[in-house]
Amino acid sequence: MLDEEFKRQILTLYKIIDELDYYQILKVDQMAFDEDIKTAYFEESRLYHPDKFYTEPPDIQERVTKIFKRVCEAYKALSNQEKRALYTKLINGPERQKYLRFDLRLLKEEEEKKEDEGSTPLAKKYYKMAKTAFQNKDYKAAKVNLQLALKLEPNNQTFQDKLKEVEDILARRKGL
Amino acid sequence: MGRAVGIDLGTSTSCVACVIDGKPQAIPGPDEKPIQASVVSFLPDGGRVVGNEAKRMMIENAESTIYSAKRLIGRKFFSPEVKKAQAVCSYKIVEGSNQSVRIRIRERDYSVPEISAMVLMEMKKIAENYLGEEVDKAVITVPASFNDGQRQATKDAGTIAGLNVLRIINEPTASSLAYGYGKGLSQKIAVYDLGGGTFDISILEIGEDVFEVISTAGDSYLGGDDFDDRLIDYFAERFMRDFDIDIRTDRKALQKLKNAAEQAKIELSEKLETQISIPKIMETMEGAKDLDYTINRNYFGQMVMDLIQRTFKVCDEALQNAHLTIEDINALILVGGPTKSPIVQDAVKNYFFKDPQANIDPELVVAIGAAIQAASLTERRPGALLLDVTPLSLGIATAGGLMDVLIERNTPIPTESSRIFTTTHDNQTAVRIKIYQGESKFYEKNELLGEFRLAEIPPMPKGEPKIEVTFEIDANGIVNVTARDKDTGKAQSVQLTVSGGLSHEEIERFKKEHAGAGKEEVKAYKPKAELPDR
Repeated sequence: MLDEEFKRQILTLYKIIDELDYYQILKVDQMAFDEDIKTAYFEESRLYHPDKFYTEPPDIQERVTKIFKRVCEAYKALSNQEKRALYTKLINGPERQKYLRFDLRLLKEEEEKKEDEGSTPLAKKYYKMAKTAFQNKDYKAAKVNLQLALKLEPNNQTFQDKLKEVEDILARRKGL
Repeated sequence: MGRAVGIDLGTSTSCVACVIDGKPQAIPGPDEKPIQASVVSFLPDGGRVVGNEAKRMMIENAESTIYSAKRLIGRKFFSPEVKKAQAVCSYKIVEGSNQSVRIRIRERDYSVPEISAMVLMEMKKIAENYLGEEVDKAVITVPASFNDGQRQATKDAGTIAGLNVLRIINEPTASSLAYGYGKGLSQKIAVYDLGGGTFDISILEIGEDVFEVISTAGDSYLGGDDFDDRLIDYFAERFMRDFDIDIRTDRKALQKLKNAAEQAKIELSEKLETQISIPKIMETMEGAKDLDYTINRNYFGQMVMDLIQRTFKVCDEALQNAHLTIEDINALILVGGPTKSPIVQDAVKNYFFKDPQANIDPELVVAIGAAIQAASLTERRPGALLLDVTPLSLGIATAGGLMDVLIERNTPIPTESSRIFTTTHDNQTAVRIKIYQGESKFYEKNELLGEFRLAEIPPMPKGEPKIEVTFEIDANGIVNVTARDKDTGKAQSVQLTVSGGLSHEEIERFKKEHAGAGKEEVKAYKPKAELPDR
């Protein structure tokens, strides 16, 4: 049997876990080294791994499973440099509450923010037209416009990536 | 309360193990062998035999003897793997409801989980006879690369067999447990698992009692059976050159050649050269002809080298995903019968710059690890904690053909991810969403797990309902979907249709049907064991 003290600890954590950020869940500092994050993940697993509660009543199992899922989620986000940097920035910003749980879509959004829409007016125009065509699923038109934009600014990374994506889609359609 | 065991349900062979007096051990079957063929043979009188005895009936009772069911489990009827099996298997594969696969035996259709359940029942029986106690709980292993459908179908097989399935665990993870349990290690290890039908590589970190899977990768279309196929083709081609007739056109002759090729492959592990001879294998215009050839290990090695190289591509991928290099790996563990071959061993040694761990039997290690996990879960003092990952990314279909990834592969499990869904026109009361697993950015190239339908949405203007759908991957690697109204918090009805799967009603019905058959067999079992070996 679990001792009462530990049961209370589980209940408290279960109740407040939605308010905690990943660092608080793993009980590590925001400056922690990668090794510390792994050590913390192992330590928290030793405490809350649901297998340790396999023969306990369902309510306890449900609580530790929720806690443990969050521990895993915290580790997954903080053990990746790119995700950790973005996450740390967001939870220290004004909308902390909104970003306590990491969403993969945030990485995509971040990438889109880095979008380089071109520096010459004509390339900008072609890129805009390509984007509209893409939204309308007219991938052939999108391709032509991107190729034109790239003629004007051959080194633009955004144009290059977008063209690759369009070409992938077209190649796949051909294959079908 | 009955005992808990670990079962390695393999493509070609299965094994059951149990922790007895604190010591995990594999349990021998009626022929004293702990490794039993995953074969079920249905007899003309309505009875059936399972295991090594059934394997001996593959020639005389070819159409009613089922092998390699694991290659079909949890797959859809139209999948390439099922098409391939249809072409080569001696038994009949037909389409069931909901795109599922059925096996037709003597005018009756069986689902694949039922066939696997018969193998599991045999393993249960072997353990019960040995322990002299009822066995009602089990940890069952699956290849790490198995998707949701395959895991669910394996779990269903356990339920049909009358077992409480404590957990579905990954074969490489089970192996790491058998290797590192109770040793207090602090190591990074690679588990190279080449089975009969699948290849898996898992990279793990062991921190005393914690076993963390850092990454896993696999090829579910590559196994030791492919090595056999190379040998079969080689001998068939030689025979065709000599006698101008193709053995592969005659199922009975092909089955004989299959058995002989498998035997030759095993002999080449011991010897540098072996002979394969089957008298009167085929009738030709000039009478019956014998097949009689020799083959040496080097030549066989050249024949399969590309297959072995394919496994290393997968190893590269797993190491890369783990952000590790070969030098970081402290120990190498080989799993699966095919890794007993010196050809495979030498190649793997060269790849990892390391000798594999000795004292580990590649054919027993998975079942032993499963037995440790079973004991750990039931004995209230877990000695080992597994931190496993999901092998495949989980996502939903979006407009434009792209997959919106909700949970990436190699994410620790259990895990969950939520999304808010809404309606696209006024007063819409249902929304359909398709779930996929796989790594392609286009959902069509990934495996469709199923479709769920959010129903009984209160009529509202479009975009107003906010339904939060939670996708969970549980500790078994199985996907569960739940939904609730974001505003009211009320549970929202979700109807999930898993492609190719069994319904709850079917599972319960099969369980009852087979429970009856199983009991009689247990009674009839003892005397049967005394029959002379044929």
